[in-house]
Amino acid sequence: MSKVRIISTLTAVFLFLVTLYSCEAQKAAASQKTGAQLWGENCIRCHNIPSPGDYNDVDWETIGLHMRIRANLTEDEIDKIVEFMKTVN
Amino acid sequence: MKIITTGGLLLALFLGQELFGQAFKPSKTQFMIRGYGHSGLNYEQIDDNDADLSFVGATFAPIFLFKHSDRLLFEAELEFELEDGEVKVGFEYADFNYVLNKYITVRAGKFLLPFGTFVERLHPAWINRLSTLPLGFGHDGIAPGSGIGVELRGAAPVGSGKINYSLYMVNGPVLVTSAMDPEEAGMLRFENFEDNNGNKAVGGRLGILPLSNSSVELGVSFYNGIAGDAGGEYENVAARLYAFDFSYVKQISAIKGILDIKAQYTKSNVANANYYELSPGDTIPTSYTFTNSSNAYFGQLSYRPSMASGFIKNIEVVGRYSSLSTPEGAEWEQEASQVAFGVNYWLSWRSVLKFSYQVTESVGGHGNAGSSRRTGMYAHWALGF
Ligand code: HEC
Repeated sequence: MSKVRIISTLTAVFLFLVTLYSCEAQKAAASQKTGAQLWGENCIRCHNIPSPGDYNDVDWETIGLHMRIRANLTEDEIDKIVEFMKTVN
Repeated sequence: MKIITTGGLLLALFLGQELFGQAFKPSKTQFMIRGYGHSGLNYEQIDDNDADLSFVGATFAPIFLFKHSDRLLFEAELEFELEDGEVKVGFEYADFNYVLNKYITVRAGKFLLPFGTFVERLHPAWINRLSTLPLGFGHDGIAPGSGIGVELRGAAPVGSGKINYSLYMVNGPVLVTSAMDPEEAGMLRFENFEDNNGNKAVGGRLGILPLSNSSVELGVSFYNGIAGDAGGEYENVAARLYAFDFSYVKQISAIKGILDIKAQYTKSNVANANYYELSPGDTIPTSYTFTNSSNAYFGQLSYRPSMASGFIKNIEVVGRYSSLSTPEGAEWEQEASQVAFGVNYWLSWRSVLKFSYQVTESVGGHGNAGSSRRTGMYAHWALGF
């Protein structure tokens, strides 16, 4: 990849981020979010969003641990998400 | 008599309730099998040659998850695949994971490497939005896929966003020499199950999610190690790789759907070394060398009108551009670029029908000096269970 291309790509990514950041900065940090919100924002990043009803409580505990590690989620996030899955499945 | 019957009934009820009650008490340990199946139909043509039409893949990949406690998890994946007329069994990963504390998890065994994001997060057929891999991955790939060793990983909130990290030590790469395979001399192989030298490769990735809604992730990865065999001509030949990755995924009401952008840039630098070739008629091999740097990148954009009604919300369109450049002067010298388009129909969150078309233009590659144009049409399905 040529230098010019790398620099223009990085500039584009940077501008995109600044725009997004200014829209998002005022909103709540993850620690104030509910399990439902965290599920909607995080479980969609790599694959489609899984529906809580697909698995039972015990399965969600195992999947939660698997995803916590594979997807590098914080403890707070995964605890709230698994709690949410177990409530609405 | 009556007393005995009533007593018996009560006892039966009591025992029944005990057994019943126990049957619904979840066990502390849990074993689970998940995984996916995948296959498809490929239509491929190189230049003006006859086209190939073939059913391919028929992959069955079971994933075993054993949760020993809230902190200890064992994961393993096998991949059964029909290839070249036989069943190939791939041993994707087998590792144990222990959550040390809020911020640190230890992994040990054979695991997928977080070098960039494609291999660790996006390659399974039910996650990959196209039926093929971007250039630079899979066979002839330049990025490591898995390794045997140990790793520390974790995540932490920072400000309104968060960061995640991974740091690992694995057996590391093997340098292909002319004696091993003259056609691939200078390439790296990452399947190094018994280390060819005492040196361990060290690698890691730092991921930054600057926004509180986690929609954006930027990642930087590295992987360094000695690749040559111990005690020989190549014992000091080191490999240094790095990668950048980017991901943006968000449901946006203005466009009534989910926009998903993924990209990765991979660079590989291997120290200079001499390789040998035997020209026809010669008895003594002549040596040659080259600047052993390769790079590959891809960018992918997909859109799914998830907020539409009816079957339209299950349709997704995807486009991907990828490129691969391998060293000038190597037997495997190649410059290739590929454009792929696809339309997917999602039957559930983990089952999909994928239709795609791609064109790959390349110059060189495996003893082939000329340029070629490969076109392909693919109809694949993948189902996660
Ligand atoms: C960073 C990427 C990533 C994120 C974020 C992510 N997943 Fe996954 N998920 C994966 C990958 C990769 C697999 C496939 C595992 C494999 O094949 O080894 C997977 C598999 C799964 C599976 C199948 C069963 C299993 O454990 O393998 C479920 C269920 C699942 N994910 C649920 C979730 C939930 C719930 C979330 C949100 C908390 C989530 N995922 C977030 C990458 C991710």
